[in-house]
Amino acid sequence: MSASQSAVRSRAEAVKVSRTFDWLICFTLFFVVLGGYHIHYMLTGGDWDFWTDWKDRRLWVTVAPIVSITFPAAVQAMLWWRYRLPFGAVLCILGLLLGEWVNRYLNFWGWTYFPVNFVFPSNLMPGAILLDVILMLSGSMTATAVLGGLAYGLVFYPGNWAIVGPLHVPVEYNGMMMTLADLQGYHYVRTGTPEYIRMVEKGTLRTFGKDVAPVSAFFSGFVSILIYFLWHFFGRWFNSTEFVKSA
Amino acid sequence: MAATTESVKTDAAEAPLLNVRNMLLGASLYIVFYGWVRWYEGVYGWSAGLDSFAPEFETYWMNFLYIEFVLEASTAGILWGYIWKTRDRKVMSITPREELRRHFTHWVWLVMYAIAIYYGASYFTEQDGTWHQTIVRDTDFTPSHIIEFYLSYPIYIITGFASFLYAKTRLPAYQQGMSLQYMVSVIGPFMILPNVGLNEWGHTFWFMEELFVAPLHYGFVFFGWAALGVMGVVNTEVASISKLLKKDLA
Repeated sequence: MSASQSAVRSRAEAVKVSRTFDWLICFTLFFVVLGGYHIHYMLTGGDWDFWTDWKDRRLWVTVAPIVSITFPAAVQAMLWWRYRLPFGAVLCILGLLLGEWVNRYLNFWGWTYFPVNFVFPSNLMPGAILLDVILMLSGSMTATAVLGGLAYGLVFYPGNWAIVGPLHVPVEYNGMMMTLADLQGYHYVRTGTPEYIRMVEKGTLRTFGKDVAPVSAFFSGFVSILIYFLWHFFGRWFNSTEFVKSA
Repeated sequence: MAATTESVKTDAAEAPLLNVRNMLLGASLYIVFYGWVRWYEGVYGWSAGLDSFAPEFETYWMNFLYIEFVLEASTAGILWGYIWKTRDRKVMSITPREELRRHFTHWVWLVMYAIAIYYGASYFTEQDGTWHQTIVRDTDFTPSHIIEFYLSYPIYIITGFASFLYAKTRLPAYQQGMSLQYMVSVIGPFMILPNVGLNEWGHTFWFMEELFVAPLHYGFVFFGWAALGVMGVVNTEVASISKLLKKDLA
């Protein structure tokens, strides 16, 4: 192979080839990360994400940001730190939301007839935008972890407020008070119906006095900081181009 | 350098760098096949899939399972065997243009892997959640499991390993050893299938009310992380392709 031989015949062809690879790379990265992220999220925060009557002020607000900041942190470790592309978090969340929405409509509604206003996914976009913008403006992983992680946890509940608020209006049914979301849940009883499982708003009397959601949001933000740090280093490892040589 | 009549004639004679037709055909194969599978689930899931002791369950679901085992094993053997048998024994002697063409073909394989991973890890895995919350299972082999664990997972395993084998047998960049993150991105999702054994074993022990967030499922979560190995594959490819194109892009 001659050292002077070229893979392309002109600069124009080189540019076209380079752009074509960009598309192939973006497609593959998007869907493979989507697959891994979706299976991770559905099995760690999934039940809270699937049903409106699980979208409470304690475990939903706490768990969802903590388990969902993982892949954005890892993908930012590649896209920003290697390629200076400021959309790692948004790319991950867009993929996750695409996978979830396709599923909720075609399968949760299309196969098992749960209405979409009962099974819509949580909105994670505001936090993703904040994570990417903070990284881009600060250029610092530490600032992104601390400020971005905290913001990611805090903005989760407000980001879903407009969507979930109407379903948290109380109603009275047969002498019992419940939310509209609870009423949806009673109409669509599942094997994991919350009142039986009690992984929804479980707590003591003090829990329900006031300030449940902000307390959960701050705790979530705090743990999200730690998870961001950890997953940034996981992301660095996954970025490796090392080859294992045989003994 | 402007194109000359000579090089235009050469272009017309040689194979294209990226075979777009093969890529679109391959993508259509997955999408149309899985569209048919989803139709099958919609019709026979309700009419024949609710009671594993019913004879129609055996007809429409267990037979489906047996046929898919045979087809998957055959496809894997033929495909992997072909890629290995036709390996390039002088891979370090190829021209830069041929190397570039093979990188494109490799990316077609990776695009197929991305589609297969989407259907396996995202589409059919979350679909399983809605079936389990609706129908209390009475066996390990449910309509959703027969498609998810025993069809969509083997399909991405077959595709992923084919992609890895293609790179290992055709591309100079992969002759320096075994790419660690390529192995992670292929073997990690592969390990989800043995983890199904652990999962079903656990379900026979404990009632978990079919919740998705039960700790028994954490094995799936752990191996799902391995999909991030694709980042290392992208970095390896970008480095190799950059080396091929660098002086022409300057």
